[in-house]
Amino acid sequence: MENKLKTNNGKLKSVSYAKWGYIFIAPFFIVYLLFTLIPQFLTIYNSFFETYRIGLSQVGPNFVGLKNYIELFKADPNGTVLILKYAWNTIWMWFLGALPQFVVAMLLALFFTSIRLNIKGQGFFKTVIYMPNLIMAAAFSMLFYALFCKGGPIQTLLTNKGVLEMEFDFFRHRVTVRGMIALMNFLMWFGNTTIVLMAGIMGIDQSIFESATIDGANSVQVFFRVTLPLLMPIFVYCLITAMIGGIQMFDVPQVLTKGDGVPNGTTRTLVMYLNNYLKTYNYGMSGAISVIIFIITGGLGGIVYKILSKQYKDPEAKHRERKGKVI
Amino acid sequence: MKKLLAIMFAVLMIVSIAACTKPEKPVEQGKVFNIYAWNDEFKGFFEEYYKVPEGVEVKWIINPSDNGVYQQKLDEALLNQENAPADEKIDLFLAEADYIGKYVDSDYTMDISKIGFKNASTMYDYTIKAASDTKGVCKGVSFQCCPAGVIYRKSIAKDVLGTDVPEEVQAAIDTWEKFDEVAAKAKEKGYYMTASFAETFRAFSNNCTKPWVDDKGNLQFDDQITAWIDQTDKFIENGYTLTAGVWDKEKTDQMFATGKTMCFFGPAWYYNFCMTNAMDETDGCAGDWCLVKGPQAYFWGGTWLLAANGSDNTEMLKDIFETFTVNTDVLKKMVKDKNQYVNNTDVVKEFAEDASYGNTAILDGQNDIAIFYELAKDIKWENHTNYDQLLNEGLQNKLQEFYTGSVDKDTAMKNFYQYIKETYPNIVVPEA
Repeated sequence: MENKLKTNNGKLKSVSYAKWGYIFIAPFFIVYLLFTLIPQFLTIYNSFFETYRIGLSQVGPNFVGLKNYIELFKADPNGTVLILKYAWNTIWMWFLGALPQFVVAMLLALFFTSIRLNIKGQGFFKTVIYMPNLIMAAAFSMLFYALFCKGGPIQTLLTNKGVLEMEFDFFRHRVTVRGMIALMNFLMWFGNTTIVLMAGIMGIDQSIFESATIDGANSVQVFFRVTLPLLMPIFVYCLITAMIGGIQMFDVPQVLTKGDGVPNGTTRTLVMYLNNYLKTYNYGMSGAISVIIFIITGGLGGIVYKILSKQYKDPEAKHRERKGKVI
Repeated sequence: MKKLLAIMFAVLMIVSIAACTKPEKPVEQGKVFNIYAWNDEFKGFFEEYYKVPEGVEVKWIINPSDNGVYQQKLDEALLNQENAPADEKIDLFLAEADYIGKYVDSDYTMDISKIGFKNASTMYDYTIKAASDTKGVCKGVSFQCCPAGVIYRKSIAKDVLGTDVPEEVQAAIDTWEKFDEVAAKAKEKGYYMTASFAETFRAFSNNCTKPWVDDKGNLQFDDQITAWIDQTDKFIENGYTLTAGVWDKEKTDQMFATGKTMCFFGPAWYYNFCMTNAMDETDGCAGDWCLVKGPQAYFWGGTWLLAANGSDNTEMLKDIFETFTVNTDVLKKMVKDKNQYVNNTDVVKEFAEDASYGNTAILDGQNDIAIFYELAKDIKWENHTNYDQLLNEGLQNKLQEFYTGSVDKDTAMKNFYQYIKETYPNIVVPEA
């Protein structure tokens, strides 16, 4: 932004207001630099060192090159490469929770924004669906643990009704534990997604819906041809943030399985694995895991963004191409 | 202006009064007394029996023991002890038998003779040995002594063995072979012998003849640990016990009157800490219990009070140590009202020889102190390592997955080795 003023001697002198812009955005960048960027580089730096604590005495730091990474991709005594197993657990459990989360949130967002339905008492419903998000994840997990543990109310009830055998233990089966984690994540996050998607839909010009209806489009057509393409930027944003949150999944499974990822580590997530190394202040190994999580997150985010934004960038353009018309 | 003057005078007056009345003490004592602990057990006794000096605020910092959280938080605070402001320095912290060595053998604990505390001859030797570093310098005291036995349900014993008299029950289970036989009988009658696969763990592990880790850092399995695994394999296979962990709800539910379990393994602290279900007024079965030695003498746990180096409340520390080791009034109350087995041979001997004393809170009026008194004579402090807590906990957690049927035994053991690699990179585990 430059204003050009003529000075007395006729020379042009420019007055720059840009510096104020920089000053105003500086706090964010300083905080970002101090609390995000530098720690990020420190993490990468630490991942090349052997450094941990045994009790009260410190071992290292000794430079070990890529040893921590090699160690991570080595098979454990059982022959599994743990980091891959935990990465798969994380992504799969996220997907199990995110699928219903997005379907339900999309439906609710549509219902709430539909002029035809014109639902009364929206404020109430919105508050209620957002409610689970207000509970601390750890408290929510403890509640689930208390409900589903052996001898807990759910197990006792279902045993008395004859649905389950006496010996059934929810925490012994991969399916049930993963199911519980997915359910909790779904319950906690669908309200949030609904609100964001609603905002997105309300941002679309109502006249477009009206004209689509006048042209004879049914509601399914309106959704796929009008709402979804126009909502895509918001939707992609939601999906990517949800995915980043999902890859960092920690508190729910940690508290629910007491850090063990029962049964047999099948519900252990990447960050739980990382956390386990932090117990001994093993910044080398946990740094290496962080770097891998960073790569996975970046990679998946990029893929999702590419696929979705390409498909919905400008459906009209595709259409025109097919018809061979140039307007 | 007037107001300001008034305030100034007021402040001046208060300061001068405070300066005049300040008692003359050799060392300035701190105003905040920080205690690190992993549960409320000691807090309860402390608040009931210790009178905090006026002007001192006691702060409890409590973190759970599971997964090593307590040690982590404590380590963090201790490493920061030197730089912490006086009121945030740890003054006293609690440590358990499983990892006390780690702190005792460090500079983070203080020689208690330096604060004027002398170990009394009435304290159990092993409690002093446990709190002493390799040079024999004592860093703290224990307020309890933890000989442990078998606490059995009388009504179930009567049904299974035909008798509920302690001497006869003891005769029936005085070796592990006999214990297993009784387990089979209990099973026939529809009872469980124990309520957790890990119930007997301490009875074995505290009789180990070699430590978990040798001098070269190699993991080693003691015969006692192997024996425990063999016994538990059999117990689970035959349905003599449950797959619950020692602290799980499924196990503690067995202590209600409706429970079907005959034996529980524990020391005196076990009553208040684990058996509250049994003492429940409506659903419990207090009075239906008796204590015997069981197949093998052992001890379990115990809480030590360690003096943190850098404490500015040394007089109060000394005072606390004295209250809970030599103040016989307090100790007698702890035995009588709290069913504790205190760390004072004079006091416990008095109760052991007192025919009129009996535990009615949970037992049938039996003099349990007399039994603990005999058992306590055998306690030795040896073969402990600083790794014990997480190794004991890890072995139980990983094997539990085998006992519940999630994995086979080989996988469970390998998971245990992997767990050690992650927790203590310096311990050498057997390669697959």
